[in-house]
Amino acid sequence: MPTLTTGSSTRRVGWSKDDLRSLIDLEKGFIDRRIFWDQEIYQLELERIFARCWLFVGHESQIPNPDDFITTYMGEDPVIVARDLQNRINVLLNSCPHRGNRIVFAEAGTRRRFNCNYHGWSFAADGSLVGLPAEELYEQTCPGFDKKDFGLIKARVGTYNGLIFATFDEEAPPLEEYLGDFRWYLDVLLDNDEGGTEFIDGSVKSQMNCNWKLPAENFVGDSYHAAWTHNSGAVGMLGQPVGKINQDRSFAVSVNGHGWQFGLDMIGNAMTLGEQEVLDYLRSREQVVAERLGKIRSRMVGSVSSANMFPHFAFLPGHSTFRVWHPRGPNKIELHTWVLVNKNCPEHIKELYRKGVMRTFSPTGVFEMDDGENWEHCTATAAGVVARRQKLHYGLGMNSQIEHDELKGEVHLRKYNDANQRAFYRQWLKLMCDER
Amino acid sequence: MPVFLGDTPVIRRPAPPPPVDPAVTLETYYRVQQFLYLECRLLDEERYEEWLGLLTEDIHYWMPLVQARYRKDPKPRYDPHRMAYYDDDLFTLRRRITRALHPTAWAEDPPTRTVHHVSNIEVERTDNPDEYRAYSTFTCCRGRNEVEESVLHGRRVDLLRETPNGLRLARREIYITQSVLLSKNLNVFL
Repeated sequence: MPTLTTGSSTRRVGWSKDDLRSLIDLEKGFIDRRIFWDQEIYQLELERIFARCWLFVGHESQIPNPDDFITTYMGEDPVIVARDLQNRINVLLNSCPHRGNRIVFAEAGTRRRFNCNYHGWSFAADGSLVGLPAEELYEQTCPGFDKKDFGLIKARVGTYNGLIFATFDEEAPPLEEYLGDFRWYLDVLLDNDEGGTEFIDGSVKSQMNCNWKLPAENFVGDSYHAAWTHNSGAVGMLGQPVGKINQDRSFAVSVNGHGWQFGLDMIGNAMTLGEQEVLDYLRSREQVVAERLGKIRSRMVGSVSSANMFPHFAFLPGHSTFRVWHPRGPNKIELHTWVLVNKNCPEHIKELYRKGVMRTFSPTGVFEMDDGENWEHCTATAAGVVARRQKLHYGLGMNSQIEHDELKGEVHLRKYNDANQRAFYRQWLKLMCDER
Repeated sequence: MPVFLGDTPVIRRPAPPPPVDPAVTLETYYRVQQFLYLECRLLDEERYEEWLGLLTEDIHYWMPLVQARYRKDPKPRYDPHRMAYYDDDLFTLRRRITRALHPTAWAEDPPTRTVHHVSNIEVERTDNPDEYRAYSTFTCCRGRNEVEESVLHGRRVDLLRETPNGLRLARREIYITQSVLLSKNLNVFL
């Protein structure tokens, strides 16, 4: 297979390393708006970020049995995530090597073989080409034709506590290294119960006319917007505005461009689901979680917080919304949203999470509605030439880095802080300048 | 091998269509129709609290996601236990409207402009003499800011109940054509 691909698809582009570096000023905290608007930068992102990073493609609970599959995207490339008869998870480019047609059109299901609708080429869950009509003619008339050369392109696959990641980059570091100490934080949600986690069935999908980095940077560390943007949602769900946050007991932490901002209030995010029984559930488990993960992480389980794993996988602890901002051009995303719960969580609590996420962080959600409006207009204004000349300010919390006995990664005090956003763009710049 | 080009058992045949319910009177049909039109107008005029007044205490307002699945897949394309756009009781709807009417609902100020059209209304009896099932289709056109426009088309199945105050909506199922919602939000009721 590799012998038949052309290798790098990188075109010569107008953005040199120096040009790219001039876009991101981490010392003073300024970002050039062209990163939200420029078509060439976007193409470079697809090549140097989305075709190289470990990307979230699904949760193991979505494909529990052999032959189960889901479809999703890695960047703009459609992929199939399939469990084969040996129980291995495969991530395959959803495009036939014959004429390029898309192979699988369902978003989920169970199939032993994936047949291309165009000429009937048939692929196994491990991507290998196992049959094609008039195969004998190929053998007679195509010198050297070997089915082994015409499987679906396969990505490298890794899993972490139920989450499935994949990368199309042979040179990418192992997933463990890519996640690094962020795993310690991920365990707050993925490993606070011995039974592990699952996704509730069904993914809400919607489109926003915004650059993918705006929601990513929002979730990675924009606690600052919540009280203002989401005041109306808080009134709807809590009957009162967003509460005051004790900044000196809150943190912004980052690892390899992944970031998590949080307080230690344990239930603040969960409160906005508007269900007392969810809070009772979390409180009833506090001691168990503390024994499992330690006191400080037990206070993060449902606290007022948000996180984004580089580049585009985000979640809200306590709310349990998990989402991916699939890029669709410099000014469009497709947003896929799921709900994560502990497998051992009582069924009626899972049901409350399902409905709670739906009414808060989905397209009908009372919080998400105000986010989308902001991100679209942050993107649209960059069409103006004068607007693009003005760099945007990311300088909050410049001197806030601290040493912490327990917290891992780069730790900043106070979650009203742009530190995680600067760390996100530092990672973005590092990858964008990798010219290999 | 000769091929017979006429009618064969392979070619599909007409089947008896379902009957139109003869016991639904023109007056009932008219009342259902007027109810659905009034509902549209209240929504388009942002008279949300009066709209809530058209709902029963036990309203179930459900707008599921469609999941693209192959026809042979035993799992359904719609499932009440999956994520949904709406799966609401009256209290949840009240919460949503509290947010929408709050002065800090920034995305609603200036307001979204909407027009709901309802058509293809069919009314039939149910096992409960005080309840009717109404089928209808709708389009909802939204205008936002300067040039944003979003149109949704869908089908609905409603359960309408006779009460001392007139007809009230007790259950609604909403099925839209989009599988990826082609907008940033769904800030309307359908």
